[in-house]
Amino acid sequence: MKYAVITGASSGIGLAASVELAQKGYAVIGVGRDEARCEQAALQIRAAAPDANIRFLCADLMQQREVARVAHEITEILLQEHEGKLDALINNAGCVRSWYTTTEEGYEQQFALNHLAGFLLTWFLLSQLGRAGGRVLMTGSESHKQFRMRWHDVMFSRGYNPLAAYKQSKLSNILFARGLNDRYQKDGVRAYVVDPGLVCTEIGCKNTGGLVNWIWNMRKKHGAQPEVPAGTYGYLCETEPAPEELYYYRCKPNRYSKQVTRENADRLFALSERLCGVEYPSAIVTEKEKTI
Amino acid sequence: MNVMITGASGGLGRALANECGRRGYNLFLTDIDARGLKSIQRGVERQFNVTVTTAACDLTSDESVDELVRSIDSLGIRFDMLLNVAGVDYEGGFLERSGRDIVRIISLNNEATLRITHALLNRRREGLPFYLLFTSSLASMYPMPLKATYAASKRFLLDLAVALREELRDKRVNVLALCPGGLATTREAMRGIAAQGFWGSATTNPLEVVSRKTIDRLEARGGIYIPGALNRVLTFFGKLLPRRWVAAAIYRRWQKAQEHWKPAELSAEKL
Ligand SMILES: NC(=O)c1ccc[n+]([C@@H]2O[C@H](COP(=O)([O-])OP(=O)(O)OC[C@H]3O[C@@H](n4cnc5c(N)ncnc54)[C@H](OP(=O)(O)O)[C@@H]3O)[C@@H](O)[C@H]2O)c1
Repeated sequence: MKYAVITGASSGIGLAASVELAQKGYAVIGVGRDEARCEQAALQIRAAAPDANIRFLCADLMQQREVARVAHEITEILLQEHEGKLDALINNAGCVRSWYTTTEEGYEQQFALNHLAGFLLTWFLLSQLGRAGGRVLMTGSESHKQFRMRWHDVMFSRGYNPLAAYKQSKLSNILFARGLNDRYQKDGVRAYVVDPGLVCTEIGCKNTGGLVNWIWNMRKKHGAQPEVPAGTYGYLCETEPAPEELYYYRCKPNRYSKQVTRENADRLFALSERLCGVEYPSAIVTEKEKTI
Repeated sequence: MNVMITGASGGLGRALANECGRRGYNLFLTDIDARGLKSIQRGVERQFNVTVTTAACDLTSDESVDELVRSIDSLGIRFDMLLNVAGVDYEGGFLERSGRDIVRIISLNNEATLRITHALLNRRREGLPFYLLFTSSLASMYPMPLKATYAASKRFLLDLAVALREELRDKRVNVLALCPGGLATTREAMRGIAAQGFWGSATTNPLEVVSRKTIDRLEARGGIYIPGALNRVLTFFGKLLPRRWVAAAIYRRWQKAQEHWKPAELSAEKL
């Protein structure tokens, strides 16, 4: 049995992806922020996949200490049940904020959750992924196009604009995946970004207000159901040999921004390492090799 | 520039810490929440090349403040700026709250602010200007039923700021009273804004803009800073009407908002 970790599995796209992987026989470790919503989601997954091996861990992934805690819990589970191996990590938790809001570290919330949380969680789980030759998937978005990183102020402390901050966080997802491949493809770990298309979820109505809420309520009506993009997650986790491209829409490679260059990816890596207080190794070392 | 920020692990405190860090100021951060302090310290240090010192302190306690002052003195720090941000806001009817909770509003918003302000003014850097911020609120502009004590405590800060500004002018102390409307700092605050519907969103001020302009104003001249054109207009017309009428109108508005929104969720929220 393969093991998958899916963040933001308590609703929307993450929930549908969890169902998809549970049906394909994965043991799924879902991460959500709210206990009651997680329980509800577990019920839904079991209803769709009766012998699913599914459990939820609760963490507010915007806060770095919570990422650290939940990473530790995941590591324990993998060690006890799966020889410390992780086959798939899906960094999907995301949010939209109408206003400039910060985390405990004082980081802008969309950047912190949509990008930094996945960056840090992946760092914690890197050797587990290495042992399994695992795959890292990010939920990106078409909206990353026609946008450049605001290197001078990634936290938008000047001229905050909800959509711009969101776009930047989604461009970061691709840069992060590119950076992972540049570093660890040689070690057997692959990273991908899923473009889910427009999906009918509640993302634009959680902790938002006024205009953002209103616009999203209009927009989401034109979106597909979350089950539609879910297949792409199954495809990217399962297909052998590993698919070659970086960015996928409905199981097919898709075009992405020209901003996704090695240089920008390295720059984002360096910045994110500093903001998370960690350093990615130049190669994945699993403990076995370490002791030799 | 050495800056002390109280209530530094709350939403506005963190935004001001970022703003100062971005300007290259060194920070001394305090809050009752020690863990939150460590987080914002890490965040500011990782983003900006400045020195950040933290000390957890219960500003409502004389002993705790004495200890804070001792540690400042042992480090020999002199300050150029004090940003008084710490404050509480217990929502809801006067009689629905415990007497202690209500008195606590004054203990923190007023007594504690006086305690730390007095101590820091005496530890300002010799011969240089000093910048002093009081975080009042739009609520200071009118008597506010259902937030009666809170609004009065903020009125206290407003008047204090205006008076001290004159009194300390020739000592080169700039004093600013910041009077924001809603600030979307916490999930509860965001829910509160949403519950007030149109007026909630319309009177909400963008946190990052408020933070930047607050420091700009404080350094330029002090005075009273009411962010947002709509808030300034409402304040202006509010002053033309008898205070009793304004209070009655506010009472109606809050009552309606509270039907959508459990005030208990807001208790002890940092402003
Ligand atoms: N919907 C679209 O059209 C669309 C398009 C492109 C990309 N995306 C991306 O798809 C991803 C999923 O979005 P969605 O549309 O499925 O929205 P969603 O239904 O709101 O799902 C977001 C998930 O993240 C969780 N979450 C939110 N804040 C969290 C926090 N602080 N800590 C931990 N978990 C948290 C949510 O938990 P709760 O269940 O408790 O809210 C939920 O499970 C996002 O990255 C989004 O950017 C969506």
